[in-house]
Amino acid sequence: MEATTAPAPYVRRESLLRRAWNWLREHAINIYAGFAIAYLLIPIAVIILFSFNDPAGKYNFTWVAFTLDHWKSVFSISELNSALLTSLRLALFATVIATAIGTLMAIALVRHRFFGRRTANFLIVVPMATPEIVMGASLLSFFLILGTPTLGFSTLLIAHIMFCISFVVVVVRSRLIGFDRSLEEAAQDLGANAFQTFRLVTLPLIMPGILAAALLAFALSVDDFVVSNFNSGTTVTFPLYIFGAAQRGIPVEVNAVATILFVGTLIAMGFTVLQQRRAERLAAVRPPQEAP
Amino acid sequence: MLNAWGSTDGAGPPNGRVPGLRLLIIAGLALAASLAIAACGGGDDGGIESGSGGDVETVQVSGKPSGDLTISNWPLYIDKQTVPDFEKATGVSVKYIEDVNDNVEFFGKVQPLLAKGESGGRSIMVVTDWMAKKMYDLGYVQNLDKSAIPNVEKNIVPSLRGRPFDPNNDFAVPWQSGMTGLVVRTDLAPDIKSICDLFDPKYKGKVDMLTEMRDTVPLVMKCEGVDLSQATEQDWLDAIDKIGQAADDGQIRRFTGNDYARDLTSGDAVAVIGWSGDAIQLQADNPDIKFVMPKEGCMLWSDNMVIPVGAPNPTAAEAWMNYVYDPKNQAQITDWNYYVSPVSGVKEILQKIDPPAAKSELIFPSEQFTAKCDAAPPLTGEEETKVTQAFNAVVSG
Amino acid sequence: MAGRRRLTPYLLLFPGAAWLIVFFVVPMYYMARLSLDSGTLETGFRFTWQWSNYGDALTLYQDPFIRAFEYAGAATVIALLIGYPLAYAIAFRGGKWKNAMLFAVIAPFFTTYLVRTIAWETILSDQSPVVSFLDSIGLAPGGHILATASAVIAGITYNFLPFMVLPIYASLERIDPRLIEAGKDLYASSRAAFVRVTLPLSAPGIIAGTLLTFIPAAGDYVNAFFLGGTNNKMIGNVIQGLYLNVRDYPAAAALSFVLMAVIMIVVFVYIRFAGSESLMGEEGARA
Repeated sequence: MEATTAPAPYVRRESLLRRAWNWLREHAINIYAGFAIAYLLIPIAVIILFSFNDPAGKYNFTWVAFTLDHWKSVFSISELNSALLTSLRLALFATVIATAIGTLMAIALVRHRFFGRRTANFLIVVPMATPEIVMGASLLSFFLILGTPTLGFSTLLIAHIMFCISFVVVVVRSRLIGFDRSLEEAAQDLGANAFQTFRLVTLPLIMPGILAAALLAFALSVDDFVVSNFNSGTTVTFPLYIFGAAQRGIPVEVNAVATILFVGTLIAMGFTVLQQRRAERLAAVRPPQEAP
Repeated sequence: MLNAWGSTDGAGPPNGRVPGLRLLIIAGLALAASLAIAACGGGDDGGIESGSGGDVETVQVSGKPSGDLTISNWPLYIDKQTVPDFEKATGVSVKYIEDVNDNVEFFGKVQPLLAKGESGGRSIMVVTDWMAKKMYDLGYVQNLDKSAIPNVEKNIVPSLRGRPFDPNNDFAVPWQSGMTGLVVRTDLAPDIKSICDLFDPKYKGKVDMLTEMRDTVPLVMKCEGVDLSQATEQDWLDAIDKIGQAADDGQIRRFTGNDYARDLTSGDAVAVIGWSGDAIQLQADNPDIKFVMPKEGCMLWSDNMVIPVGAPNPTAAEAWMNYVYDPKNQAQITDWNYYVSPVSGVKEILQKIDPPAAKSELIFPSEQFTAKCDAAPPLTGEEETKVTQAFNAVVSG
Repeated sequence: MAGRRRLTPYLLLFPGAAWLIVFFVVPMYYMARLSLDSGTLETGFRFTWQWSNYGDALTLYQDPFIRAFEYAGAATVIALLIGYPLAYAIAFRGGKWKNAMLFAVIAPFFTTYLVRTIAWETILSDQSPVVSFLDSIGLAPGGHILATASAVIAGITYNFLPFMVLPIYASLERIDPRLIEAGKDLYASSRAAFVRVTLPLSAPGIIAGTLLTFIPAAGDYVNAFFLGGTNNKMIGNVIQGLYLNVRDYPAAAALSFVLMAVIMIVVFVYIRFAGSESLMGEEGARA
């Protein structure tokens, strides 16, 4: 084949353009993703930024000046503190109970075949798909007509556990599905009974899933506003405090607290991921292959 | 074999049968059945009780004040020193909660408790005059033991004596009083002088009104020329129609609570219906924000301390009332709030420590300043329901 | 032994199922009952089969009702348009950044819902540089985004975007890359391969994502509360106001019920059309 040679500079210029265009097409979607992620993160940046603001009046909407004062006094507003503590306490109880209940449900749904399994599945999914306002409103109707318990911490706890269960089940279930049963079988071959197998083999291996579910439940509970708004009576949780404060000027300390929560959850999530990696490494343990 | 849904076990849509559809049908039938059964009983929805009405209790004050005192008040309504000072003077430990954001909302929150004779731990609640009366009529509020609050009798300003809803201050002791009128960005809207000006298309989308029905609607009624002492239900409804029209047209930007201040500060709104005390505080940040007394007049209101049924510590509660009616202590509160003080003698004290405040018409209004101002006209139970529903449809719809 | 084994799943299931039934299913009954009550808070509520509650409430509040579905629909479509390419990028072009990108998608969840909506109030306020910029390129009529429908839709889209991205990402991730390779071989252009292979395979994710976005969005009131003006209230605002402010429980319950019924109809139609097994996780459970 004869190679035709065009004058060198001409070729190079065209292919440069072409290359640029190709590069753009190749990376367009990545560039787009970059913008999309920036869009997702902008409000977070604004929240963190405005925690350093020094507003003249009650309203923290325009940037005035940089100050660390509100970080220094971040826990100085007593209503904010008690709301935060209430939220954390509530989330703790709700998480523990919902995770326990949900894990049991997940095990039942994945490991066993039984009559009513599809109905149970349905029962799990429906709360996740119901608008929060309907859940909150119906619970309120329930408590109002029954007359008991009085709207407050207990009703909040009931509500929070209720909507957390579904999420726990889904997370733990997905973890259980991908679970390699052969390790359990090996344990049983070695003489462990069902309970010991569960405790010593299964549980540690699905622990990352349980932790992830617990973290999710905790986050959902701390963040919940709508259902809490309807069922809190006079108890004030952190989001409810913000809602009330929004009317009269949200103190800058709220931004600082939100930032702390954000960083805290980030760290917790990182921890769960590390746990997961560790569990995966454990599960991948295999005896060295022997030559046949 | 992979099917179109990327799964290997044949799962996939086409037969379209929804698991749980059966459950749904069963649930629906169960629902219908139970409703039918319930209807046969024709029952009361038990837990939602109404008030006991009638029998009003009277506070029993005993001995020196001590123990814990829980007070529910509106936010940003007290300075930072008064509570510690009171605690030091009496030894009472005060829990001061700012959970009254809106009269109706607060009522809804505490009503289930009050109906059972409980107050949720509160010994004092601060609600606006009409709400205090409503609670009193429902038997949720106690009569006061006047012997423990001599300062109130002695020092209450003349204009707050003999109020129609509580002529002898039997159950309601004013905390602060105030005026609702126009709060204006005078740099952006210098010629707004009356409520009717808020409907001027020039300011479309830059006007806020209050969600507090008894502030917004009577003011608009005044704009329509209604004499509030003769206001009928139809007058209320007409005014609400007018407001609804303006909302639909986009003339009104938002219905707000205290947060109109945010719109004013940012300039998103140039004029709002707002409260006198807020205006002074806003002016400190932005000198162009001023309270403008509408040509038609303003609304006068008072927020009142009441002692609910089931209050755990009425003795300390009355001690608090007596304490804040001492002009010295009241001056401290007024100097922070900038609302109208219900206690005489405060003006003289402020003249020494904060002369500009002492001179302010908003804190110490003269007869002339408030000549055209009225209290909100009362509504009967049925009227109230109808009017509230109409207003609510405008505000939320 | 066999008898006990048969009981085990029910025992495991019991606490959760009982909780959900007592505190999710049963309250629906009570809400239905409340919706047929008459009376007021002062006079007490009595069950009287008052069907007129439904009629009255719907006539009075049909605007916010319709608006809620309009806004939720618009937000869902926009979220799909924004979210699909993002999910695609994470699944196929993520590489070592995949986890970081997923973190970024979920990160907004770690700030309280209210706080991030209020942050948008700051970003979209009339004075903000963002709005001035949009105004200069003509996207902000009147220099004014806050207190308009656009602000509310933008808020809803933002808040529910992760619900759209994650399911789509999950289903894209499960696609066997060999299928796409085969598609490229068969269809010659990568765009055709995308349309004929990737897109249909990601359909379960799209369905899940749209439902998980639309359903909560339809009942939302927080965005309309902070970002909307007088004309932008959604049915959620009405229900909240009726329950918590006006305390007209029968009307509020009636509206909640209608909202739920309409959403369920939409969902069932959608699912019937598009298939549900993958949504319910049936496939995995067969393991």
